[in-house]
Amino acid sequence: MKRSRTVLLAVLAVLGLLAGACSSGSSSSSSATTTAQGAGTEFSGNTIHVPEDFPTIQGAVSSASPGDLILVGAGIYKEAVDVETPGLTIRGLDRNATILDGEFTRDNGVRVLGANNVTLQNMTARNYTGNGFYWTGVTGYHGSYLTAYRNGDYGIYAFDSVRGQFDHSYASGSPDAGFYIGQCFQCDAAILDVVSEYNGVGYSGTNSGGDLVIARSEFAHNRGGMVTNTSTYELCYPQRQTTIVGNYVHDNGVASAPATDTTSLAMGVGIAVAGGRQDLVQNNRIENHERAGVAVVIYPDEKPKDVLPTGDALTVPCSEARQVPRADKASLPEASYFEPLDNTVKGNVVSGSGLYDLVYGSLAAADKPQGNCFEGNTYTTSAPADIQTVMACTNPSGEFTGQINLLEAFASPTPPSGDYKTQPEPPAQPNMPDAATAPGMPAVNVPEKVDVNAIPVPAQR
Amino acid sequence: MTDVVPAPRRHRGAVVVGLTLAVVGILVAGAVLLLGPGGDGSPAAAATATGFQDGPQGLVPQFVVTCAYSHSAYDDPIVAPGQPGLSHRHDFFGNRSTDAYSTPDSMLGQATSCERQLDTAAYWAPSLLDHGQPVSPLGLDAYYRPGPGIDPASVQPYPHGLVMITGDHTATTPQSTAFVGWACGSQGEPEVLPARCPAEAPLRLKVVFPDCWDGVSLDSEDHTSHVAASVGGHCPSSHPVAIPQLTLSIGYPISGDGHDLSLSSGSILSGHADFMNAWDEVELSRQVRACLNRALVCGVVSNKRDDIVRPMPSH
Repeated sequence: MKRSRTVLLAVLAVLGLLAGACSSGSSSSSSATTTAQGAGTEFSGNTIHVPEDFPTIQGAVSSASPGDLILVGAGIYKEAVDVETPGLTIRGLDRNATILDGEFTRDNGVRVLGANNVTLQNMTARNYTGNGFYWTGVTGYHGSYLTAYRNGDYGIYAFDSVRGQFDHSYASGSPDAGFYIGQCFQCDAAILDVVSEYNGVGYSGTNSGGDLVIARSEFAHNRGGMVTNTSTYELCYPQRQTTIVGNYVHDNGVASAPATDTTSLAMGVGIAVAGGRQDLVQNNRIENHERAGVAVVIYPDEKPKDVLPTGDALTVPCSEARQVPRADKASLPEASYFEPLDNTVKGNVVSGSGLYDLVYGSLAAADKPQGNCFEGNTYTTSAPADIQTVMACTNPSGEFTGQINLLEAFASPTPPSGDYKTQPEPPAQPNMPDAATAPGMPAVNVPEKVDVNAIPVPAQR
Repeated sequence: MTDVVPAPRRHRGAVVVGLTLAVVGILVAGAVLLLGPGGDGSPAAAATATGFQDGPQGLVPQFVVTCAYSHSAYDDPIVAPGQPGLSHRHDFFGNRSTDAYSTPDSMLGQATSCERQLDTAAYWAPSLLDHGQPVSPLGLDAYYRPGPGIDPASVQPYPHGLVMITGDHTATTPQSTAFVGWACGSQGEPEVLPARCPAEAPLRLKVVFPDCWDGVSLDSEDHTSHVAASVGGHCPSSHPVAIPQLTLSIGYPISGDGHDLSLSSGSILSGHADFMNAWDEVELSRQVRACLNRALVCGVVSNKRDDIVRPMPSH
């Protein structure tokens, strides 16, 4: 094991001193070591090599200390790795040749369980029955230069986690979403410069939002491109305050892509805001969808588990949502229809949609904007007609006509799911710079600040 | 901003739901039987043992293991050990070596049909019969959670070799749906009798095991009295050790009309299931510590099609 004990002790001492300074007045007198064990916010200076020091990634992870760097050489690692130690950086030396393989019999490639500030970089996870890379219950996460393909649920996934970022990554062949950020508010997270294709949907975010930005990415050849929605099947409803900007969303509707029962219904939609609130869809290029380019619509929650919070309850952070009492089960309706409220769609370039480029669909207020607005988009068809007048962001005017008729327009069945196990193998993906020499990078300075208004409509590729 | 949940016009509600889904292609955050402490929260519920937990996903700490159907046999290593062929027909999941002679020690290190490879425990249930013929199950999801209202930090892993049975194999009258029931799909709530399930949410048997242990016995003469269900968020003094509440959700390719269902143990009301703990001890302890004790949602049965409790290759 190529460890630098001197550096380790120095870092532990510094962390201990800092922690001590921060906790003055506390009766706690944790040793430096104990304090640092819980931190992992800085690179420890230690590097563990796989397979040289440990033959398996799990072996290295289990013996690592907070803040360590684990460098994984080329090879196929047939394991499912659980990470419980904060601040680790687990990095492949070659993104295309450092491969975790689930062989369709293991559930997750790497699962980060409540360990904060863990970074995963420059490797591939394939053939898992669950997820490729998965963080749950953490503050601070970073997935970078990752490839996930042919995984049975999600490719790259953060649940009940905040302060994170996925970037320069690729996900394909998941029946659910290639990239998913769910159940967080405020999420304080970003998905940047990724590619997602041949999934049920390229991006999904259920009940996520609050400083959540998805930008500069490509979502193509999925069944559906991007879906952000409200549902009571997970906590932290409603979905809100997500920014989708500068993405290239095109040619979704691929029948051979895998799907769940519900993602199969995402067929042929570019970007859907379903029951979301205060979302911003801006400067995206959206092309060639058999149904709709951008759809701002209700979310029908069948057999809902709760009603949506109102008033002050809306400001409860996700971390406290477990404590909020739920509605009496007997009072819940057979289905709830969560309306999209206060969403903005502007500056997008939308073309080639089979039914409508821009869609607004409401049950409760089909002829009222409900704060939703469309402005400065380049488009041809819309429902309602002349959407940028009747739903203008400034001074909307005129009567709604030509609203979407769900009963007539979308009665066609969707094709059965493709097999996730046989989706296309992705081409070689770019490696992160200096993988062998860069220091450990605990996930502390994420997400990067994104100047949303500086991101233009992407060019066609 | 207001919360808008309009009362749908009933005659078109279901159609609109389906069609709107078609429009937007939403990702239903799918879920399984998800759970929240306290059942229905009523005083009556608090006074009796609580089993099924329901609510939004993410509410309750858990880890989930999905296991394929492994094999069937007229064996029962708990009730009829060493007596092959003496039991009613059982469907086995998890450990692939399970037979009448199995012991927790014999199963350690054997192949498993579960996606978590170190889950070498054995799970079994009576075979579902349709018009008298066995139905090959799709597989099962095993949910491990703190019992309703139980302090997650207090939950201890099962001791190696603990066996449990839940449900009454002799029942001819309805059992409590808090512990045994039939549902449509992973999200469905258990009912006494199987309903006509839609194709996208086929039939499931859902059973809940006791979540408190006497701290001493791995088994008991009746195979049940060494464990008990918690009441009101507490384990009884006779069974003071909180253990994970195991819920099994077994899927069957049964939907639509034309079925005549029974169980190999008798009436369709005789639902029950057995568990023999042969988990890799270190792995089980790690899952309990990492997920349950730290109140973490380590996994969910997500938006997969409900019939996916996936067939897996034999080993």
